[in-house]
Amino acid sequence: MRIACPFCGERENGEFTYLGDASPERPNFAVDGRESPDRVEDAFYDYVYLRDNVAGVMREYWYHGGGCRSWLVAERNTVTHEFISVTAAPGAGAASAVRAGE
Amino acid sequence: MAEFSWNTQSPLESALVPGHHGVTGTQVGVTLEEVRDISLVQVMTRRGRAAGTAKAAKKVFGIEPPTSPSAAMGRHATLIWSGPDQFIAVSAQSAEDQFAKLSEAFAGAASLSDQSDGRCLIRIGGPRVRQALAKFCSLDLDDRAFPPGAAATTSIDHTAMNIWRGADSTDGHAIFNMLVLTSFADSLWHTILDSALEYGVQASLAHAA
Ligand SMILES: [Zn+2]
Repeated sequence: MRIACPFCGERENGEFTYLGDASPERPNFAVDGRESPDRVEDAFYDYVYLRDNVAGVMREYWYHGGGCRSWLVAERNTVTHEFISVTAAPGAGAASAVRAGE
Repeated sequence: MAEFSWNTQSPLESALVPGHHGVTGTQVGVTLEEVRDISLVQVMTRRGRAAGTAKAAKKVFGIEPPTSPSAAMGRHATLIWSGPDQFIAVSAQSAEDQFAKLSEAFAGAASLSDQSDGRCLIRIGGPRVRQALAKFCSLDLDDRAFPPGAAATTSIDHTAMNIWRGADSTDGHAIFNMLVLTSFADSLWHTILDSALEYGVQASLAHAA
């Protein structure tokens, strides 16, 4: 399996580390205490623990630790292992307009 | 109290044995040298300051820093792409410490880190250089994929590496420069040497000019 890093080009997968599903978004609640604690806990439980088990195309985080040390988002078919796209994760590179975590 | 006597020495102090290794005779398939007395500065652009960093680099090194995996070669320094918005400036060590001067030039635009004694520079060339490297390097080092001036941040034999191709030697063979963390230099040197013995190796020591 070879992965095309948008910064480095195509490399063997041994240079990369799989970091899991890129879909979950961190829950964002106002700290005014008005939100029900149960709803907050449920949202964080889902964010931290629950993952879909996709047979097909999913968005995943990969880390190019053996290369440019950038975080990447890949669209990969979990059945065929085909990579449909690999892009820089938000915040990768100082020239990037989007900050990490946004 | 124990007495300590500090001295600086190359990580290849015992590994590098100048002379011919491997197959006997006059054949030299691979040339292998350590380049000592280098000055290395890692430059990392601060968020949104790519233009300011490029301007400072142009001012102090006379060349634009590379924005893709490549090496920009100037008169006194080579700038090696090492990741998005970062590069390593390689030059010969000078009598006076240039780091303070560089810090001033890049102030506000980029963060600098002196890596001069943190990395070891190994240069490998010769008519059979690609066969030797192919045994432990997964990069395509063919002329079409990796021409002079190409660079990569990669893992070679599970070792983090900055590799770039300089100008060809006078007899037309490719020359690859490998920058490796000093603690891995000894192990990598032996890997390269072992892989090249069947081609005949000429090992030597060079000083950055
Ligand atoms: Zn990369």
